Amino acid sequence: MTRHRLRRLIPYLLIAAVLGGLIVQRAGLWQPIEGLLSQAAAPLQKGLSQAIAQVQGLTQTARDLRELRQRNVELEAENARLLLEIVRLREIEVEAALQRDLLNFAQSHPTFDIQGAHIVGLVIGRDPTNLQRYLTLDVGRKAGVARNMPVVTNRGLVGRISDVGETWSRVLLITDVSSSVNAITQSSRATGLVQGRPDGLPVMRDIPQADTVSVGDTVFTSGLGGNFPRQILIGQITAVERNDYDLYQTAIVQPTVDFNHLEMVLIITDFEPIEEQATEGQ
Amino acid sequence: MTIYLVIPLLALVGLIQATFVPRLAVWGVFPDLPLVLVVSWGLLRGPRQGLLWGFVAGIIVDLFSGAPFGAATVPLMAVGFIAGLGQTIVFRNFLLPPLAMFLATMFYDLMFLFIVQISGDLPQGTGHIVEWSGSLVRVIGASAVLNALLAFVIPSGMRVLDRRFRHQDVGMAGL
Repeated sequence: MTRHRLRRLIPYLLIAAVLGGLIVQRAGLWQPIEGLLSQAAAPLQKGLSQAIAQVQGLTQTARDLRELRQRNVELEAENARLLLEIVRLREIEVEAALQRDLLNFAQSHPTFDIQGAHIVGLVIGRDPTNLQRYLTLDVGRKAGVARNMPVVTNRGLVGRISDVGETWSRVLLITDVSSSVNAITQSSRATGLVQGRPDGLPVMRDIPQADTVSVGDTVFTSGLGGNFPRQILIGQITAVERNDYDLYQTAIVQPTVDFNHLEMVLIITDFEPIEEQATEGQ
Repeated sequence: MTIYLVIPLLALVGLIQATFVPRLAVWGVFPDLPLVLVVSWGLLRGPRQGLLWGFVAGIIVDLFSGAPFGAATVPLMAVGFIAGLGQTIVFRNFLLPPLAMFLATMFYDLMFLFIVQISGDLPQGTGHIVEWSGSLVRVIGASAVLNALLAFVIPSGMRVLDRRFRHQDVGMAGL
């Protein structure tokens, strides 16, 4: 039989097989054959279906992974944005708290004309030497700042303006050795002069021996000499040095202002020191 | 090193000194980076370069400082120059640069205080007050120790700069 003839017979053979199958089914002989075939095919079917499921799982995982990565990128971007927002809001919160404190100070001292200012910590913040104690502020002559104006925070006295430019000013801190402030203690009303020391911890000098000064007393500006307004908090006495042979006693003062973490200060612009007025008068 | 690099480098160091470094205070004092750099460069490159670096760094420190102008420039030029005189001997022993830095800091701080005392006036007509003994004990000694510790590290870094920029040296004429 040639190949050509066989090819011509295939349709007939297929029809015959179908007809034969129908006859076998009708005769009830198909079920055992089907069972045998199914039994033989089941493991293959199972293996194949598992393989397909795995392939499907893999493609799904790959799809999920791609989506998860995309989602992760989006969430990270969102997270970064929210973190920035939190930082910004916290900064606003801190600034608002500082301003609220300063406002409280301003409200409790209604006679002062107060000009707010930021310390430029990142640009021209602090004195670069260990031997001087100055701060540089971001307001100057343009904002009405002038030499000798007292500088305060809600926590107390910071110092006074020593140099002024158009848009900046420099503050001599009360912790500098060149600074001296007339002061009075709250409870005993002892007067003295608060002067800075090289280690940054001021002392109250020239306290008369007759006055009783004790640890824990709060120290305020006395207004004597006319260099600073009265009743601005300076600090608290932490130690008293008293010798019987001395005319005066000395007290160590812990300032209430934290000079290492100053961010905002107030400049009292309407206060004119007496010596400055005298100089102008001349 | 060309002056076009020296000025921005020392300006940057001065800016860091006036903003960030005071936050690193140890024993109530903080490192004096401009001084350490000037002395290190003087030790590496001699009196002429030490003088030049001292001048540039001093002007920058004076700009940021509340002290009278020149209070940092003059002593920095002096220590830069004097450090340069020890150029040939100081690196023979690893302890000599810290010792030189210790002495340079003492000299610089004392000269600084002297200039502060004799010059300028503060608001309200009061002169600058200098508390010599307190400054010497509480500030200058601690500062000298801190800078001396830095001298174990910084001159080595400066040597890298030295090798990199030796051919670009600019003396006083370059100003």
